[in-house]
Order: sequence, then structure tokens, then C-alpha cells
Amino acid sequence: MMGDGCSRRQFLRGLSATAAGFCLSPRGLLLASNLPTAPVAVAKCRAYGPEVLPTLETMFDQLGGLEQLVKGKTVAIKLNLTGQANFRLGYKPVELTQWVHPQVVGATVHLLGQAGAHRVRLLESAFSTDEPLEEFMLRANWEPHDFLSAAPRVEFENTNYLGMGKSYSRFPVPGGGLMFKAYDLNHSYEDSDVFVSLAKLKEHATAGVTLSMKNCFGITPCTIYGDGAGTDEPSLVPRGGRDMLHDGHRRPSQSSPSENDPGSPREGGYRVPRVTADLVAARPIHLAIIDGIETMAGGEGWWVEGTRPVRPGLLIAGTNCVTTDAVATALMGFDPMADRGTPPFETCDSTLRLAEQLGVGTRDLRQIEVVGTPIQEAIFRFRAA
Amino acid sequence: MKWPSGPLEIGRRARAQTLTAEVKQLLLDWHAPRALEILRGSPVNCLIVNWASGAPEDEEQQRTLAALIQAGRSLGISFVGAFSGKAVQPATLEAGRKAGLAAALVEGAPPDPSPLLAIPSWPRSKIPWDATFFSYPQLREFGDSKFLFLSVSENRWPGVGLETMHGDVAVAGPTGIPWVDSNGWFSLLARELGREKFFWLDLDPPASPPTTSWHPADYLLAIADSQAYGSWWIVSLEDQMKVRLLKNEPQATKLWQDIAAALSFFKEHKDWSSFWPQGALAVVSDFRGKNESLAEEVLNLLSRRGVQWRVIERSRASSRRFDHLKFIAWLDDDMPDADLLSNLLDFAKQGGVLIVSQSWKLSDMRPAEGPLAERYQWNVLGSGRIAQSKKEFQDPYEVAADIHLLMSRRNDLVRLFNAGMAACLCTASRGGKSSLVQILDYSSSGPAEFVSLWVKGSSDSARFWTFGSKQPAIIQGKRAGNGMEFELPSFSVYAGLEFGEWGL
Repeated sequence: MMGDGCSRRQFLRGLSATAAGFCLSPRGLLLASNLPTAPVAVAKCRAYGPEVLPTLETMFDQLGGLEQLVKGKTVAIKLNLTGQANFRLGYKPVELTQWVHPQVVGATVHLLGQAGAHRVRLLESAFSTDEPLEEFMLRANWEPHDFLSAAPRVEFENTNYLGMGKSYSRFPVPGGGLMFKAYDLNHSYEDSDVFVSLAKLKEHATAGVTLSMKNCFGITPCTIYGDGAGTDEPSLVPRGGRDMLHDGHRRPSQSSPSENDPGSPREGGYRVPRVTADLVAARPIHLAIIDGIETMAGGEGWWVEGTRPVRPGLLIAGTNCVTTDAVATALMGFDPMADRGTPPFETCDSTLRLAEQLGVGTRDLRQIEVVGTPIQEAIFRFRAA
Repeated sequence: MKWPSGPLEIGRRARAQTLTAEVKQLLLDWHAPRALEILRGSPVNCLIVNWASGAPEDEEQQRTLAALIQAGRSLGISFVGAFSGKAVQPATLEAGRKAGLAAALVEGAPPDPSPLLAIPSWPRSKIPWDATFFSYPQLREFGDSKFLFLSVSENRWPGVGLETMHGDVAVAGPTGIPWVDSNGWFSLLARELGREKFFWLDLDPPASPPTTSWHPADYLLAIADSQAYGSWWIVSLEDQMKVRLLKNEPQATKLWQDIAAALSFFKEHKDWSSFWPQGALAVVSDFRGKNESLAEEVLNLLSRRGVQWRVIERSRASSRRFDHLKFIAWLDDDMPDADLLSNLLDFAKQGGVLIVSQSWKLSDMRPAEGPLAERYQWNVLGSGRIAQSKKEFQDPYEVAADIHLLMSRRNDLVRLFNAGMAACLCTASRGGKSSLVQILDYSSSGPAEFVSLWVKGSSDSARFWTFGSKQPAIIQGKRAGNGMEFELPSFSVYAGLEFGEWGL
């Protein structure tokens, strides 16, 4: 699939430099601050009905169109399907609170196929299981066949372990990384030309917000970075969550790079944003899509005390994950320039600031063009909901 | 209900060095007719008393039980005497009959003929399933039932396995989810192997810690874990509960009332115990010898995964019993005889899926694609398929997980949400006019709330029952994929949902 003389790894690195803004937008600029920027499309969408597809289509057009990004390419979509499939906030199905909605997934897959994507691969590290992703979806009453019929050549992979690969792929963090110099991930994150983060508009108990960047915390396989990871080599089967990345109580499997500074704080509010920023620098996101039609406030999942369902009625998309998350943060009623001690980052460092520090993109709204619905017309204050 | 008391029990406890002054007094108080007052108005209508064990205390026991038996019979209670060891003799049984016993609970096979209706009792691991005993053609009457009863010990007290509890918090077990102990799978298996006899499950509650903060055992769960699956738990109270009941302590009295309500509930719905398990999968094995351990544990683990299964003993497998199935898992290493093999292959040819072990010799098969291709060779046969394991079935956890994935959750009959330590059993009446989903919550951590039940099919309403409810609540379902989803009201330990036909 790669051209002569250009390996997939080199291609990815090349995209890394440009992903933050130049792929889609004819208006992409590298501003005086030297931080990449790119427009962010915002649209109101009140329900998960047939309106989702045309709304997303319009948004992608506003960003310059999908075709030049995905035509003839293998596209990987990291879905936000956090937690277990069979636990909910009250009676609400997971897709109305903590998971991205299948209607948004299906519409995205369809539009990618329509834009000429050669293959679309749906990815998620399903919680504490090596079961196929399709089975994980069925557990939540989803129907994976719906996605298979949305575009030609749709595939699934549970990336929480080795999966269908023969070995893990190593992703170095440009500049050496804030927590790790490189991460070992499932092959699907390398065996794709275009990477899409399809996230949910949520707060996060540890990292302040769960948006397109924090969604990528879940690309780490628990066989290496999980509570049940093997000591020397990755375990065969993922068990439990990623507490080691949260609190540093143990190190990843010896086969993977160890922490840059074992003396760094053993605190989730320090570590999780840094790991997240590392990951989006190492595995660049080419298209960030955030589902905020129906979601939850107060945290990333039902297990966070005080979480409650909310209906912001929003869809957000952009080609730079930092600019997209900055706009999304503002739409949630927060200041994207805020840092530790200020909402939503009361007890953590800002992933936006750290990703900015790694050169991924700017979080400064003055340097981000918002297309579609202006922020002031769409703002939904999560803390007041 | 077990009613251990008097000289025999005191002697047994003394020999086991568990007899304290308080326990001795309890066993004497429990032996007195006035203790029967707690049964007044309860559905308990039969007591199992220590009768004869060949010990020196036998004579004194039988003499002092006379008053208890007399008082009990005036309350409509019948008595079963427990006979063990050398006491299982026709003469002793005849003496028991003359003393007013309605039946004898005897260790092992009863004398034949027996002067007194004998209910045999075995440890679970030693039940002689092949004994002619199980083929008794005649029905035997006892109480209000016309089925032969058998008593089985070596059962597990139901609930979250203690090994996965850290204080009051359940943590992941070796397989990633909290470990739940249940006898449900055994009840379903016993019903098949025991030719539809009724089983009494003999299990005692764990002893309460001798502290001021009393944590009574989860008696309601023990009742539900047996009755929902068609067995009967022989009610057995631990000493602290009995002491407090005799003192009329409010907490113990309330718990006893709840126990009585749960027993009454199942008595009022006794037709449910004749319902048959539903599901797309049948597990076939002889459940004996070298096959026993793996096959039984696979049943246990399939239940924990929420898979609805039917069990077919190998010698009773026939094409008629394959009706309405989509999958048959043959767990034994050796192949079936020619007739049964032909039936199984016909099942596949007609569209079914056979899951078999490595040792099967299959020829003239056309390879096919299917899930878990790294561990299973798929072959096409007619309009169905055969999934043959590439290695011997050894690890029951892996086998159960594989079966579930080979079937795919697309064949789930039910799914539960927000019920992490709950189990589900789907049954239907003969002819399928009525169907039932019973949910058991093993967490013992208070009421289950915000639980949703997804049921495959198109039933749009259900009758929702919990212990103590005299009338069901009618709940409406909402369409969710190819099934209906029901938001359940809060319930503790047990809920039953009655539907019409599955409407699949």
C-alpha cells in the first residue's frame, strides 16, 4: 500500500508532522507560535436518528472533505468503548452515556467508505478480555453487522492484546516522551494509514476531560500495561485495568520500554495526562470526532460518583486532536488554557497543555478556526448540568 | 428442614469437639416441643431429625423425640428420621415407622424392600447414577409430591466465593470476574442423570462468627439457588440463628419470616419446577469417570457466562432431543456409537453446529471458515458445520469460553445489565406456552438496582415476581436489536419474569 521507498513507519512519521492540521484543511496554517493548528467543525445534532449522517457529512466537508485523507487507504478508528459492556449508568444503554454511539460509528464508517477508504478497521481495547470486539459489542446489545454493511471491507480488532498480529508494534514518542520513550501497541495501530479517534464528550475523574486524546489512553494493551500484565513478556490475555499507568505501582512487561523517570510522581493526575500526550504524539490522530449528542457529566463512566446523563446535542470534528479537544473543552464550559487547580483540571495536569508542549497542536482558541456552529451558540456547561 | 437436636447431636458435637455449654443448651432447647412454635404458620411441613446412628445415644434420642414428634404432628408436620451406619437395618426402620416417622433418610442405597419409605442420601461425588435404583419405574409418594426424592451432600453454599472477597469488597477471581458458587448447574445435571427425580440438596450454612455483630448466612439465596433449578434445599439454620430465634430477637424473627416467604413463594409456583431449560446449546457427555470433572465444570462455567444450555446424558441422546437446538457440544474424548454418530451428523447436515474434540475421526469433510480458527478446524457438513478442536479438551474455563464464542453472543437468549454477580435461568413449560426467566443475585450486598434484562424475541410485556409478592408487577419491554429490553424494579436475591411463548 505504501509507495516505493517509503515504509509505513516513515509514512506515519511524515503524517505526524502534518497530521495536526494540513491533511484536510486548505486553510491549515502553522502560526507564529509554531504550533500546528487546524479548523474544528461544530454542529448541533439533537438525536441519534437519521440526522447524524448528513450532519457529519457536512462537518467533514467543512474540514475540506475526507477523500484526500482516506482514498485508497486503510483507516483505523479507535472507538471509545470504555469499561464493561454490561454495566450502565442507571438504565441508560452505554452508548447514551459512556460509549460512542453506534449511529455515529456507522455514519463515520459509511462516510469513510464513500470517500474511498480501502479498508476500515474498528479498534478498541475491550475491557479485561481477549474476546473478539464483535462479541464485546454484542454484549452491549450492539449489532456489529450494521458496521460491516456500512462500507466495503470493515474489520474489527480487540487491541487489548496481541490479537491477530504476530508481534507488538513499537511507537517511539518524538522527543523522547514525557513518561515513556516508546509504547508497544497492537499491530493494527501501525498497519493503518489513517488514524481516527472517535471519542465521547465527557469529563474524566483523573484527567479532567475525556475527548479525542484521552480516548487514545485505551490503545495501550493491558497484556503489557495492565494490572495482569506479564512481568517479563506480555501476558497472553488482558486482565483488569491500567492502574500501573495511573499510579505506577509496577512497571510494564520487561519486554517494553520502562519509564523514563522511575522517580516521577506516582499520581494519576500527573501520569495519565502525560501518557496520553505521549501516545497522541507517537501515534498521530488524523481525524478526531467527538460524540456529544447524549453523554454523561461528572466523569468518564458510571463508576465515578456523581455522574449523570446529559444531552449537549453536539458533534465535533477536526483534523488536529489538540485543537479539536480545545474547542470541545470550551463547549463543555471550561477554559482550554486552564491547568492544574482550575476546572476541569482541579487535580491533574492538562493533557491539552502537555500535548501542546510536545508540538502536537495548539489549545489557544484565538488560533483555532471554528467552522459550523460558533462555540457561544453551542456551549453546554457540564458542571451546571 | 433439618432439625438436629437431642442426645445424638450432642454426642456428635462432643466427638467433633465443637460442643460448648451454649451449644449444648441450644440442642436441648431445640429438642423441646415448644421450639416448634417458630414453625407455626410457616410452609415448613417436614422435619429431618437425628434418629439412629448405631451410637449409644440412639435409644435416648428416640425416646426423647416422642414428644417432639407428637407435638409436630399436631401442627401438621411430618418427620423424617436420619439413619446412618449400622442403624440402616430393616428392624430399625420398622421401629421408626412405628414411632411415627413418615420416612427415613438413609446413607447410600436403602434396603429393598424397606419397611419405611427410604430417601437415599449420597455425597455428590459418589452418586451411583448407573444403579438400577434410578430406574425404579414406580412413583413414590411423599408429602404433596409424587416423585422419588434423593438427598445429596457435598454442595457449595451459594454466594460470592470467599476466596474473592477482601472484606466486603468482591475482587476479580482467577478468571477476571468475581467467583460465584452455585449448585444450579448440578441441579440441572442431576435432573438429567437422575431421570427426573427430585433432589434434596443437603448443605449447611457457614457458621456465624461468635461476635456481637451478627452476619447471618444468606438463606434466601440458598433457597433460590436450589428451587429455581428444580431442587429443594433442606433448610438448615446455623446455631446463632437458632439461639436468636428462640429468644425472639427481632432481626432473627424477621429473617425467619423472609425464609418462610421465600419457601411459600416457590410452593405457590411449584409448576415452574417442571419447566425445562431453554437455549440453543446442548452439552453432551456421559458425565462419568474421566469425563466427569471436565464436563461438570464446563456446565458450571457456562452458567457463569450466562449461556443457557440443556444437558443431555450421552446414553439418552436421540435425534428427538436435538429439536430446537442450534449447537451441540460433545465433550467426551471418545466418539459416539454408530447410531448416535449418525444422529449427530444428521443434526449438522440439517443446519446445526457440532463442537467436538480433537479425537473425533472425521473424513470427507469440506473445510470452512469460522471463529477461533487458530484453535478449531471448521468443516461443512450439509447445511451445517462441525467445529473440531485442534487439541484435547482439557481446561474447562477455556472450553466454556470457546463454546460461547463459537456460538457467538448472537445466540444469547438473555443478557443482564448492572447485575455483575447474578445468574439467569431460562425455562419453558412443555409445549412452550409459558416461559420464565429467573434471576439470582449472588452478591448479597443489598437490593439489585437498575438491572435491565434483554430477552431475545418479541415478548413485549412480562409478569415480574419477587419473594413475597402475591401479585406480579406487569412491566413493558422496549425493542432493542432482535430482542426486548425490560427495566426491572429493584429486587433482592431473586426475581422471576413470566412471559408467554418466547416468540423467537
